[in-house]
Amino acid sequence: MTLPTGIRNYGYAEDMAIFRTRTQWTLLIALLIILFTAPLWFGNHWLGIANRIGIAIIAVTGLNILTGYCGQLSIGHAGFMAVGAYTSAILVGKYDLPFIVGLLGAGVMAGLVGILFGIPSLRVKGFYLAISTIAAQFIIIWVIEHWTSMTGPNGIMDVAPASFGGMVLSTPTTQFYLILIITIIAIFAAKNIARTRVGRAFVAIRDNDLAAEVMGINLFRYKLTAFFIGCFYAGIAGSLLAHTSLAMSPDYFQFKDSILFIGMIIIGGLGTTTGPILGVIFIRLLDEFVTQLSPALQNAFPKLLPGFTSGIAPMLFGLAIILFLIFEPRGIAHRWQLFKAAYRYWPFSY
Amino acid sequence: MNELLQYVITGLALGVIYSLIALGFVVVWKSSGVANLALGQLVLFSSWFTYGMLAQAGLPVWVGIPLVIVFAIVLGWAIERFTLRPLIAQPILSLIAVTLGLAYFIEGLVGIIWPKSLASMPPLFPQEPVHIGSAVIKQEFLWAAVISLALFILLSLFFRYHKMGIAMRATADDQKAVQACGIPVTRIFSQSWMFACILAAVGGILVSSIGNISKAPLVETGLQAFSVVILGGLDSFLGAVIAGPIIGLAETLGGGYLTKLTWEGIKDVIPFIIIIIVMIIKPFGLFGEKRIERI
Repeated sequence: MTLPTGIRNYGYAEDMAIFRTRTQWTLLIALLIILFTAPLWFGNHWLGIANRIGIAIIAVTGLNILTGYCGQLSIGHAGFMAVGAYTSAILVGKYDLPFIVGLLGAGVMAGLVGILFGIPSLRVKGFYLAISTIAAQFIIIWVIEHWTSMTGPNGIMDVAPASFGGMVLSTPTTQFYLILIITIIAIFAAKNIARTRVGRAFVAIRDNDLAAEVMGINLFRYKLTAFFIGCFYAGIAGSLLAHTSLAMSPDYFQFKDSILFIGMIIIGGLGTTTGPILGVIFIRLLDEFVTQLSPALQNAFPKLLPGFTSGIAPMLFGLAIILFLIFEPRGIAHRWQLFKAAYRYWPFSY
Repeated sequence: MNELLQYVITGLALGVIYSLIALGFVVVWKSSGVANLALGQLVLFSSWFTYGMLAQAGLPVWVGIPLVIVFAIVLGWAIERFTLRPLIAQPILSLIAVTLGLAYFIEGLVGIIWPKSLASMPPLFPQEPVHIGSAVIKQEFLWAAVISLALFILLSLFFRYHKMGIAMRATADDQKAVQACGIPVTRIFSQSWMFACILAAVGGILVSSIGNISKAPLVETGLQAFSVVILGGLDSFLGAVIAGPIIGLAETLGGGYLTKLTWEGIKDVIPFIIIIIVMIIKPFGLFGEKRIERI
């Protein structure tokens, strides 16, 4: 189903290629052209949204490696993102290191914290692990809120904008390119991690950890690797968030956001490359749609309850998560596959 | 010294409330194997609903509180019927995630109906403080402890002697055997959710009559009840009852004596730190059933 009819593989390289038909290449190039020229026709408002989508895609891609491929549920991803954001802001702000060091440092730091809180995963799974990652979320945020000598009394209000060499990326357009490029690298890397020995080990652990161990997969090493990779992505995303929004406070990384990340991979499709992208775009556009629409609705129907504007978005997110789990647990990515297959086999697509 | 007594009494009272909320979790987990992560939001919702009944609608306590309980039963039924029944026999990840979706939904709903972030519960209990030895205790704490203990006794009698309670225990033990005996398992699931919602509602009323009715802290109270579940063992009623006071004590004593050594607000993270420690040392808790399985 993933391969169009009439396409055959004559070599290993061909077999492993991600983009192989002419249509795929055309679509890819068209997409890249649209993305790279986006600042020309997006206003600043939509560019800001695109930036937030890009950052969320990076974080959720990491979560997808951890939860979607390796099966280790983490409901503390916003906490790990906070670790990255603060690490990077402190490295660049306090120690005057270049942005790239802050970015990578954020990833590594978040990864290490992730390993620390991933240790329980060696003895417990499922619900227990979910609880321990919730605990991680609250402990991390508490430390950030109270370690004021490092993290500032009310957050860090003057984070330096991202910069490479002498080039300071402070306008939405330059930030867009930075985030776009890193997002593409992140997705590409995630796709390839999933296809390597490590990724296959993750999938084996997810499907049956006992069988995986019997086959010689070192659970200890691979589970912690999954935590490291997943949280590394979160750290990178956090760092980008810090250096593009230029202000940091613990409120950016709430428990609610962690839940929403889980919702995004479920809506997009667990364990697929396109899943996180589709899920993030779905939720963010829904969010934007609601913020645009609800004040108008509130004006049109004055009888609506006063909290309508603030409460309707979380309610819809929750509803979306529940409905997707009930009616399409494989997410939008699966629907997209079905659509592609239907298109390919068109007159006989039953 | 009187400080210590004060911490111990408030800690124990807080702990039994945690136990109550945790029992709601254990009932659902034992009968249907669903991990209810929306516990905090159930506590939140029922507290605000009580506020709506008593303060906004102005109903007297003896009408308002039964209404809240009836509503909790309806809520429990609706949750089970519309979100969990379609997902029977799905992987645990979906079951956890659907309660997360529920959590989001309920929080949004509370935000729509009660947009303000803080309110005070109309006084349910007499206000003048009680002197025990040298300690001065708010009367709410004592009432909370008494009500919780009464509920424990009622619940354990129910599970021990009532036909439905025995059926629920049997379901927890072996679902297939119960089904073969002709007991409607889905009805058991539904009832366990009603129980969970009632317990969350009572817990919510008690917690918010001690403090304020708030948003995020109430959710956190529900989440802190997880530490009770983890410490006591997921599938143990006794564990939840015993672990609750332990967590409560750890919270007040730690909050009282450790704040000087560490940072403010250590009180609120102690349950979470306990979770991590228990996870690493004794993952199935004090009384949980040990599954012999290396993972």
